[in-house]
Amino acid sequence: MKKDKFRLILMAAITLLVLITAAVYGFASFFKENANMASLFPLGIILLIILFMGFFIIRRYKDVKTGQPLEDERSKRVVTNAAAKSFYVSLYWLLAIGWFEPFFAKIAGQEHLTASQATGGGIAGMALLFFGFWFYYNGKGKLV
Amino acid sequence: MKNKIKELRARHNLTQEELAKKVGVRRETIVFLEKGKYNPSLELAHKTAKALEINIDELFVFDK
Repeated sequence: MKKDKFRLILMAAITLLVLITAAVYGFASFFKENANMASLFPLGIILLIILFMGFFIIRRYKDVKTGQPLEDERSKRVVTNAAAKSFYVSLYWLLAIGWFEPFFAKIAGQEHLTASQATGGGIAGMALLFFGFWFYYNGKGKLV
Repeated sequence: MKNKIKELRARHNLTQEELAKKVGVRRETIVFLEKGKYNPSLELAHKTAKALEINIDELFVFDK
């Protein structure tokens, strides 16, 4: 119980750090010389991740408060399934970033994507895939 | 796999949350178990059967 509360606080602290980073990134992007809407796109993804984390933490906090464990065998299976599937699909996402780099660069209003943009897009994609699969497996019931 | 969890839980006057606490899982897990949408580990099946005072093979019926 105490351990669960500590883990929740840790999750909240990490989410807060991501939120601060997003705010700094958004601020820096907005005041850049060649700022456009596309440069704020990664910020949208980060905010989506924060939203999911917020939803997850509030839900788990309520459960821990009523004496339920933070995780059990089913929730662990959901995470394992979501992680495995998102890793597998993200390989294709990373390939897609490489293949369609000119297309993504065009959206960003540049000739080429920078290494940090490509890496950031890859990581954000993996995170979104994980959350998507988490929702899918959490509601599915039948788990391997 | 079919089970009699819902029926026995009602007979023992237990809520899903109370049964969840007894077996040390989250309420969601009991919900999915009752619907027959989740196949528990042997350990969880044993704990659930013990909490509902029944044999494991009577609680879970494997039909294929």
